[in-house]
Parts: sequence; structure tokens; C-alpha cells
Amino acid sequence: MKFFIPALLFGCLIITSSVQADSTLPEKLGCTSCHRFSSDEPTESHKAPDLFYAGNKFQKNWLEKFLQNPMVIRKAGTINDPGFLKGAPTLAQPHPALSRKEAAKMTEFLISLSLPDLATEQMDDTPLTKSERVRTKILFERNYGCIACHEGINLAGQARGGISGPSLANAGNRLKANWVFNKLKTPEKILPKSRMPLYKFDDATAIKLTKYMMTLKIGDWK
Amino acid sequence: MISKNCLLLVGSIVLLLTGCGENARETPRVVPPTTPQTAEAPSTPPTPALETHPVTEKTRDVYQWYCTQCHGVTGKGNGINAKLLTVPPRDHTKADYLETRTDSQLFDAIQQGGLAVGRAPCMPSWGNTLDEDTIHSLVRYIRELCECEAI
Repeated sequence: MKFFIPALLFGCLIITSSVQADSTLPEKLGCTSCHRFSSDEPTESHKAPDLFYAGNKFQKNWLEKFLQNPMVIRKAGTINDPGFLKGAPTLAQPHPALSRKEAAKMTEFLISLSLPDLATEQMDDTPLTKSERVRTKILFERNYGCIACHEGINLAGQARGGISGPSLANAGNRLKANWVFNKLKTPEKILPKSRMPLYKFDDATAIKLTKYMMTLKIGDWK
Repeated sequence: MISKNCLLLVGSIVLLLTGCGENARETPRVVPPTTPQTAEAPSTPPTPALETHPVTEKTRDVYQWYCTQCHGVTGKGNGINAKLLTVPPRDHTKADYLETRTDSQLFDAIQQGGLAVGRAPCMPSWGNTLDEDTIHSLVRYIRELCECEAI
């Protein structure tokens, strides 16, 4: 008990100070001019992906690496970019690089952002068997035509597919499985009006597709 | 036994995965009738979609929002994904092909996707995204773009 209260106070101090320091970072680093940090902000004036659910979406390690060494994920820009349909986004890519220190702080902050009403239960982590993976690849590429708009990975291990949607060639390193599942099942909770068709997947199919996407990893993704 | 199965599996994958590939273009398959051809076909011809589902501002917006990603802003089949697909998206301004398609074939391709109607699987199904009226009006819009009707 003697140590408990000071420890508790110290803990609170750390939490408060880190949150206070972190929440000003997006403004300081200029993130807010392109990214939305709240769903209340207008979509039209923000040409980069929404970040108010970054904690639901990104894997921490990937995010920290990306911020230091960004790669292009949306080759045509986001759907809000006036140059989107021309394949010539007005927003310069790749993303500006942050220093290691800034990236670490920013990652801490971003990971703390999440949507309150997004299902967060963890998906079982049993990977697809080889044959399930093959069958799901066919669903992904053929039945649902995902690669018309998203890059997947072809049999030669190369990124292949359309660019109007974000590349999924490295989805397994970049995204959280639960987020992918939510995006497939309840896309409207994440983005009210997307350019992607609605599919009404049943749970089993959405889980298979999610697990398949989580196998998409490109080794050297700098 | 295992290797035989593997061979079969690999063979079928190669076959299946080329669905979005060259063969779909070279061998135009017979489009299966998607509406059941029942004996009790309506004796009066259905009301032309032109009258019931005119092209409106909303039709054009829907086309610009979704279809342009592959079919291009002017419908010429040159959207941002076009070059990356092994089967080029349909050029909606070309009458020679589109006049060989009936309105209901175009409707089915939009609603159910390419695969369901024996065409390239790159075209996803839009039946969960767009209601039937909107799809009918998109068919009319494609007819405007190609300046053609089914022969």
C-alpha cells in the first residue's frame, strides 16, 4: 500500500503527460491539413486517408516503419483527391518522412485512436490451410474481382492489380485482421460512401477473405 | 496420390486464375440466359426501360462515382485500373459490341458481375450497392454513350 499510491500517481502522471503531449503532434507535424482526425471534419478538404481509426486499422510496427520510410499505397490517390480519376493525385506522394523519434511518438498517438462502435473481438488466429488459401485466392481474385481495384500478389510473388483502391499487396504487414474483417462486413461504419461495391459477405466468407489478405506480405516493402 | 492431387489442384488454379486473363477475351462464351425462360413469357412486350428509367443526374453521378474507376470518365474503357487488368474494361462508346447485347444482358452484367454472365470476372457485382432502378438507368446511360440499341 505504501508504494501503491505513489506508483498509481506516477502512472497517472505518465499517462496524462503522454496523452497531452501526443495529441498536439498531428497539428505540429502538419498531419491535419491532409488527414481527418475526426469524422466531424469535412471529407472533401482532406485528401489523405482518415486517421481517427488508425488504432483499429494499422499494425504498430508497420506504422512506425512507414512514417520513417513511406511507400505509396494509393497510387491514384484517395477518392477525395480531385486527380483521383485521372490517376494523377494532386497530393504529392509518397508521404513525408518523419524522424525516428517523431515516428515513434506519432505511432503511439495514432495507435490510441479508435472508433467506439467497431467490433473489436479478436478473430481466431488459425491460419488458412494451403488448400483453403488457394480457394480463397480464387474468391479474392475471381469471384469477387478484388484485384480489379486492389493490388494483390500474383503467383510470381509480384504486386498485381488495379490502383483505384489501396494496395493490399502488403496487407498482412500493414493492417489488423479485425479491421479488415470489419471493413468487409460493415464498411459503412468506416467510410459512409466508398467506391467499393457492397458484398454482404457471411461471417465465414469474410473471415476467409480476411485471413487470405493477412497472408499477403511483400518482403521488401520499402 | 498426393502429387496427383497436387497436380490437379495446380492445374485447376491455373485454369481458374486466368479467368481475369487473356482467355476470357479470346473466347467469348455463350452468355447463359440469366432470366429463366419460362413458358409463360409475357404476351405484351415489357415497357421500354427508356420510359421507366430515364437517365438522370443521379445516373451520371453513380457512373462517375463507381464505373469510371475502370470504364473511364467518358466511358471509353480507359479508367485508372484499365491498363492493369488483363481483360480491358468494356468501351461504352463502341457500338459494334454493345449493339449485340440486350438491355437485360447489360443489366445482369452490372447487377451480378462479369463472372455470373460468362464475361471477365474483373467486373464485380453491383447488385448489393445499386438498386434495380439505378441499374436500369445505367443501362440507358450506356445506350446513350454508345449511341446504339440492341439489334
